[in-house]
Amino acid sequence: MNVSELIAALPEDDFSSAANAGLAQERIREILADLAQRPVPTGSLHRLWSVSELSAQIALAYLAWWIRQWFSNAEVSKRRQMETNLRVALKLFHRLGYLRGAMAKVGQALGNLPILVPEQVAETLDRLHAESPPMHFPLIREVVRNEFGKGADELFADFDKEAFAAASLGQVHRARLKSGESVAVKIQYPGIARTIDADFRNLSALLLPLRLGKDWESVKGHFEEIRRMLSQEVDYLQEAESTRRARELFRPEDGIVVPNVYSEYSGTRVLTTDYLNGLHLREYLATNPTQASRNAFGTKMYVAWLRMYFACMPYGDPHPGNYLFLPDGRLGLIDFGCVQHYGPEERELTRLADRMSHEDSSLMQEVVRRVCGVSPEDPAFPEYLGMMEQSRDWMLEPDDHPGPFDFGDEAHFQRGLDVTSRVVRNRTMRFHPMYIYWQRSVFGLKALLLRLRAQVDVHEAFRRERLALEHSN
Amino acid sequence: MRITAEAKAETRQRILQTATDLFQSQGWQNTTTREIAITAGIATGTLFNYFPTKEAIVADLIADAMKRAGEGFYAAERDANSLEADLFTLIWSGFSKLREFRNFLGPAMETIFSPLARSSAGSPGDAIRADHLEQVDAIVTTHGFPGPRSVVAVQLYWTLFLGVFAFWVEDDSPGQEDTLALLDRSLSLFVASLGMVDERKTQ
Repeated sequence: MNVSELIAALPEDDFSSAANAGLAQERIREILADLAQRPVPTGSLHRLWSVSELSAQIALAYLAWWIRQWFSNAEVSKRRQMETNLRVALKLFHRLGYLRGAMAKVGQALGNLPILVPEQVAETLDRLHAESPPMHFPLIREVVRNEFGKGADELFADFDKEAFAAASLGQVHRARLKSGESVAVKIQYPGIARTIDADFRNLSALLLPLRLGKDWESVKGHFEEIRRMLSQEVDYLQEAESTRRARELFRPEDGIVVPNVYSEYSGTRVLTTDYLNGLHLREYLATNPTQASRNAFGTKMYVAWLRMYFACMPYGDPHPGNYLFLPDGRLGLIDFGCVQHYGPEERELTRLADRMSHEDSSLMQEVVRRVCGVSPEDPAFPEYLGMMEQSRDWMLEPDDHPGPFDFGDEAHFQRGLDVTSRVVRNRTMRFHPMYIYWQRSVFGLKALLLRLRAQVDVHEAFRRERLALEHSN
Repeated sequence: MRITAEAKAETRQRILQTATDLFQSQGWQNTTTREIAITAGIATGTLFNYFPTKEAIVADLIADAMKRAGEGFYAAERDANSLEADLFTLIWSGFSKLREFRNFLGPAMETIFSPLARSSAGSPGDAIRADHLEQVDAIVTTHGFPGPRSVVAVQLYWTLFLGVFAFWVEDDSPGQEDTLALLDRSLSLFVASLGMVDERKTQ
């Protein structure tokens, strides 16, 4: 879920003083009360029942609270923070597991930003991926039967009836093909894909009255992008295709593994890939890994991310559940539901932004004009130019750093958040929709590297990837 | 005597088949018992000996499907499933057996299972209800919820069941996936209510 959209939707109170924080809290309560009384569209009734009102409200209340933290004075909030977070995390844990629609994506996004979401909340949300309440086997069997005309127990040689991982919109089971391969079968909760639009209508209904102004057209474009990406994410046939394309990008010497897709066992609601046996980030960190091991994995994460970006298919959702730390040192990449596929327009903007960043900084004005749609005659142009400069400087910090860059440095991450919060505060929110997921992708990756406390020679990795790209062209 | 029984069974089957074909081809509303009798090659009076109404014919189809679902449930090898999973299996199996009749079940259900109708004892709807609730009760009991059930628990189950049934009949989502979700949620709700009743008992 795009954070800036939701921030933009919040009332424009000054949250920096305790009194105003109280006012803001009151306003958030009003929003939630309003949500509860909103007439329910008939078509969405079933959906709203599944994604219970209460759960949606908790996720939203937490989000609102979390955003408020962003603006609030750290000392004022410090004490409240721990207790509130834990309480909310527990509520989220109990409730979010049953949310299998767009709201669950909000929960995922929260877990991804450890500076904003304190450690215990991030861990709770992590666990959610592994422990959310599963679909029982008879239901699984019918979902599989809908896809293949056969139940899971007939289709596979073995099928583990207990899920080993939860996806936000379904769950993953281990199985063995009749030809012997050990596979992971991702199964989507029935009906969820078709509810994404209904979710969006509900979310828009909440946000629409709160966010009016000159940026509205741009915001609408952003919404459309999120809706489009979520719809793509629930179509496993598209994910299968993205996985195949990503797999072609990596060679054995990269130490980065993308599982093979088994097409004949995959459909719109079921996705079957190789099973990768590895640890998730939290489990890996619990083994107390050496700095060298963290650095090696961090470098692979960065390289994987960069290569997909160079291939014009950036990894839009780098959250902890999508990475596996394999015992032999390889990095497993799973879940390619949230991958952007840049078309000619996005490719051109990417090339322009890259040239501005690495070759010719005088292109900045052109980038603002093209990316933000703000012309030099626009009174807001200087603000946009300033914002673009700050964003670029933050983005390039690791690249400009000689030798390994320490992503464990919280100050770097914080500077990125500061830039983003200035964007929000100054309302320089007009930008091409492609950058919504781009921003999430960058923050997601850096948040992961922060939790990993990895040192990565970004400059060298960038140089090598660039060179390889030029060779391949 | 045996020949007569066989002939009866054969006639009964012919009526069911003929009625099903007619319901399918021209709709429930447009088919009369007289038409069914003529097409089946029997006198209308003879038909009434087997089925007093159109509804009784459909009720027979439903009763038969649900009975077979129950038999299948006990015949199949089952893992140590949760109560929700077992009830899901039983109900979905019944639905699957009725799938080919889905397009005329809706209008027939309105009469057979009308929640407001005060039907006479022994009506086809009541018999189906009693048989199905008996199956459900047996399954619930094996999962550690001994009876007798309260009237409220039984009515809650039946209300949910009929609601899901009615939804399924009209569900045009791919593979009726919306019904899968609705049934799953409904059973969670029902099982949660059993727990609540249990907790109250222990207080």
